[in-house]
Amino acid sequence: MSDEASPPPPDGTPPPAPTQSSGSPSGFLKAVVGKRVVVRLVSGVDYRGVLQCLDGYMNIAMEQTEEYVNGVVTNRYGDAFIRGNNVLYISAGEPI
Amino acid sequence: MASQILPLELIDRCIGSRITVILKNDREFTGTLLGFDDFVNMVLEDVTECQTLPSGERVKNKLQTTLLNGNNICILLPGSDGL
Repeated sequence: MSDEASPPPPDGTPPPAPTQSSGSPSGFLKAVVGKRVVVRLVSGVDYRGVLQCLDGYMNIAMEQTEEYVNGVVTNRYGDAFIRGNNVLYISAGEPI
Repeated sequence: MASQILPLELIDRCIGSRITVILKNDREFTGTLLGFDDFVNMVLEDVTECQTLPSGERVKNKLQTTLLNGNNICILLPGSDGL
């Protein structure tokens, strides 16, 4: 298994921050902060913007965000906060 | 008794090779597996997202390095290049 230290904690607490190599989720998230990302929600709506920060629940704060529905820009937000339970994926908008 | 292989061990062996991830809805993602965590959130590279619409049409979408939320993941196919 990858370099995790402990199994998942009981529900309610944020996921642990294990020491992991750069290929793993926490390494990817560190690498992608400050860069342009595409966040797709479970609903299929895309949000493209600059990733400001996020947490272990995949809650996301972004700047200069554009909302895409069916590939068409429907909204623009200066600051956007997305609750992590809605997130399907976070994809780098530019090569890391 | 034959030696057992645990599921997460199987995924770990797949790091560095192609894998197809099938979600609970009508989507699948094919990419090179870079890593995963305890919750099976997955980091993939050179990803093709494929969505099967109700009409049967398949819509493909190419992505860069992607973190896929483990909440929606259903099936993993190591060594697969997409369905």
